[in-house]
Amino acid sequence: MKKLSAINRSDKKTAFLMLLPLIGLLTAFVIIPLFYAVFVSFYKWNFYQENIFIGFENYKRVLSDPLFYKAMWTGLKFAAIVIPIQFVLAFLFANLIRTLGGKFGGFVKTSIYIPHVISGVVASIIFLFIYDFDGGLANFIIQSLGLEKVAWLADVKFALASISVPAIWLGFGLTTLVMLAGLNDIPKTYYEAAVIDGANAWHKMIYITIPLLKNIFLYLLVVGVTGAIQQFDLPYLMTGGGPLNETMTPNLFIFTHFTKDPYMGYTVSSALLLFVILAVISAVIFKLFNSKKMDS
Amino acid sequence: MRKNKLLVVLISLFTLVILMAGCKGTGPEGESAGAESDKTESGKTVIDFWVSWGDGKADWFNKWIDKYNESQDEVEVKATFIAGDAWDQKVKAAQAAGTGPDVMTMNYGSIVFSAQQGKIQPLDEYVDPAIFEDLHDFANEFVSFDGKHYAYPFNAEPGSILLYRKDFFEEAGLDPEQPPETWDELIEYGKKLSKDGRYGLTAAGNTNDLAWSHWGLQAMTGQLPINEDWSEATINNEGYKKLFKFWNTLYEEGIFPKQQPGMYTEIQPLVDGRTAMMFNGSFTFDALRNEYADVVDKIGVAPLPTPDGNYKQPTSAMGGWTFVVDGNSKHPEEAAKFIEWFLGGDPEIMVDFFELSNFSSFTGRKSVDEALKDHPQASNDEWRKILLEKVIPYAVPEPIHAWEISLAYANALERVYLQGQDIDESLKQAEKEINDYIEANDYAGTNPRLQ
Amino acid sequence: MKEKLNIYGLKLIGFLVAILSIFPLIWMAMAGFKKESEVLSYPFKFFPSEWILTNYIELLQNPAFMRSIGLTLFVAVVATTLIIFINSMAAYVFARLEFPTKNFWWLYVIMTLFIPSMAILIPSYIVVAKLHMLNTIYVLIIPGIASAMNVFLIRQFYLNIPTELEDAAFIDGANRFKIYWYIFLPLSVPVFVLVGITAFLGYWNSLIWPIMTISDERLYQIMQLLAYFRSDQGNDWAMIMAGSTIAAIPVIVLFLIFQRHLIEGIKISGIK
Repeated sequence: MKKLSAINRSDKKTAFLMLLPLIGLLTAFVIIPLFYAVFVSFYKWNFYQENIFIGFENYKRVLSDPLFYKAMWTGLKFAAIVIPIQFVLAFLFANLIRTLGGKFGGFVKTSIYIPHVISGVVASIIFLFIYDFDGGLANFIIQSLGLEKVAWLADVKFALASISVPAIWLGFGLTTLVMLAGLNDIPKTYYEAAVIDGANAWHKMIYITIPLLKNIFLYLLVVGVTGAIQQFDLPYLMTGGGPLNETMTPNLFIFTHFTKDPYMGYTVSSALLLFVILAVISAVIFKLFNSKKMDS
Repeated sequence: MRKNKLLVVLISLFTLVILMAGCKGTGPEGESAGAESDKTESGKTVIDFWVSWGDGKADWFNKWIDKYNESQDEVEVKATFIAGDAWDQKVKAAQAAGTGPDVMTMNYGSIVFSAQQGKIQPLDEYVDPAIFEDLHDFANEFVSFDGKHYAYPFNAEPGSILLYRKDFFEEAGLDPEQPPETWDELIEYGKKLSKDGRYGLTAAGNTNDLAWSHWGLQAMTGQLPINEDWSEATINNEGYKKLFKFWNTLYEEGIFPKQQPGMYTEIQPLVDGRTAMMFNGSFTFDALRNEYADVVDKIGVAPLPTPDGNYKQPTSAMGGWTFVVDGNSKHPEEAAKFIEWFLGGDPEIMVDFFELSNFSSFTGRKSVDEALKDHPQASNDEWRKILLEKVIPYAVPEPIHAWEISLAYANALERVYLQGQDIDESLKQAEKEINDYIEANDYAGTNPRLQ
Repeated sequence: MKEKLNIYGLKLIGFLVAILSIFPLIWMAMAGFKKESEVLSYPFKFFPSEWILTNYIELLQNPAFMRSIGLTLFVAVVATTLIIFINSMAAYVFARLEFPTKNFWWLYVIMTLFIPSMAILIPSYIVVAKLHMLNTIYVLIIPGIASAMNVFLIRQFYLNIPTELEDAAFIDGANRFKIYWYIFLPLSVPVFVLVGITAFLGYWNSLIWPIMTISDERLYQIMQLLAYFRSDQGNDWAMIMAGSTIAAIPVIVLFLIFQRHLIEGIKISGIK
């Protein structure tokens, strides 16, 4: 017993030493700015004149703006389109690559990951060309199927789905790779034992693969959902948030205020509210995961 | 054991050293810009100058800045060209931290608010008042606030004009020298000009572009969507109903594509024959003359058609650029003097610019216009002549009301032509949105132009 | 027989999706060979009607462009190394060590994951300005080092490592740091490759932060330079596409080099 507490004491010191660089950097470049942002959100923040304290006025304005809610909703909708498709595709392809194995599997893996290396800006430009009403590839295919041209980016029904495609395209490779890394981590003996017990492929997936990938899923889900809600480049460059604010994601909404407003208060307050919303969503995801009895 | 602890300490130290080194900025490239280094080695005062756009004109800027630097030995102007993608972030952050430049470019729409908030300084006490007398009325109005001049105009450009293909007009049996003058005519022409693979007309098609490129059309109704003291929506009226009906017809008749081809500012659809007419800005002249010289002769230019065909009314909003002195600049006098020399001095400097940019924008100065009269290219420029005669004298300044107002207009229009909503209802909703905005933001009476 | 068909079917699907994935990139590279006016041409054309090499040659001969690639590479490599080291050390602490206030610090770190960049854009600029980091190479590297996302990912990975190995080391008298250094680090290659590539990409593609903090042309990052081209050259899409293609090459090469390590993850499972 005594020995254990001795280890614990040395743990404390080591722990803080090893955490120090991270905590120091986070404090300087993220936490202090965050507190500063919270501070100025209560002011009519002006860089060149005395700041005027206005209490919750900025927040009241944001919370009384229907467009703010619409933007949050759009972010959620965007995540609800992108994440499930990305997950299912990535899970299938991770398995497919594993089954194929060898050089061919490697080729597929590399090909689907490579789009991830290009920036959202370049991806937006490429897909603007693909969605071009007359000369774009998308309508070329639609027309060769004998259908009528689609206004991919201008039609209220399609716009959000249209910008989801490049988002999936950009993120699907990385998701697959992470899942593949997780899959490769599952010992073969688990499956062998399961086969002896008479399990089929479906059982193996439900009872071995998915539970063992729990941590990976949690990571991908939190990062994926918060990332999707914060999508900016694609709607900014492809639709400007339209039509009818259908693709006005929260960050684009905030950015619009950043560039157009004479004061910064609204921008900072709405960004902080987005922060709260993202944290709540993530907490819910964590809760959901931990409540399910999936511990291996 | 001890050795390992040492390692931990060493690593932490290493991290801290990097941090500290960063803080001190003692690296090889460790000099900082802005307010920090305001003297050159030879003792000249450094004036930082941020330019928000290059458009291939960086060489031109540098050429004349070099000339200024050589012309005197007090001041050294240093230009930084900043990619448009992050201009707002860079400028606002620098303003907040007090590390902004001495001089920067600013568009007309931002001047009043910046002046009101002390972000920019008046130039009057540092420069010869004669340079403001040289300004056309519209330009003078643009840069004035509270009886002082807070900026000096660089250029001005009408944001909406009609460009059309003369050869397609002939093909369709229309007179290429008679562009449509009324909205009804435009629709009629559009129908005749559309065919398989070609639209009658293209214009802004996404929310953002609609929001600003329609300022000219809004002016034709006789009022902006909000009244002058910003206390009430003025969008639910006959003028706007007519405008919405006009726009919706373009769409319903298939004159106008369901999705704007390419980006709004692209001239390409007109060049490659995807459209016969186009609403766009005069800035397209530059690309047309530089890159598509083979079709320039086939392109005609006219004011936007108006409800009654009379061009002697606003058909376009005027935008454009100015130079301003930052409110925190430690050398406002030197900064203002540079602006005076560069924009308000020898007309040749600006003539050189307009020549380089293919006369795609206009000057706010009488003396530059004088100089351009003798310029062989400028004086023979038909497009320029049309705009000078029929558009610019009647143009309205870019509105400075909140972007939300323009957005409410754009959304109302979209509801009609994308979703088929009833015009009356859509305008009623926009009216409510604008009035709600006014109430939520205590917006009434805040127009700085009236204060 | 049926199984073979299945494999061929899978191969076909894999092949089609692989092609679909890289198609836009190949299109981008093609666009770099086109004449300026042909990139947006209508109707859709994949190959250039006339192959033009000048865009690529001009860029490769442009000293500012090449220097920017070199400097960005340097920044990204240094930053990635620091990111892996500092974040994995913290991840190890959160995965294995018990100490008072641990929950507080975990929350402290993890909540930063959700801060939208717009909220702290200006305040963090004020911080680096006050630290006199503007226009230095440090402002490009240091503020992005600490990353909750990476701590989170590496911790998830460490939680999956069985404790048997450490128990043995403990009995041998190793301390916590030693265990991290000699046991966890060598096992971390797959997750480091993942974190490393993502971090490297983040630095490679960073645009807004460099534009905000760097005015000195000698320190321009590659995406910043491309953005500058974009606004300076107007709409010269061919040149922009060529530049984007060249800028994508180092990252693709890097990925190809390191990707095999991801497969080596299999080796870890041996210890389970």
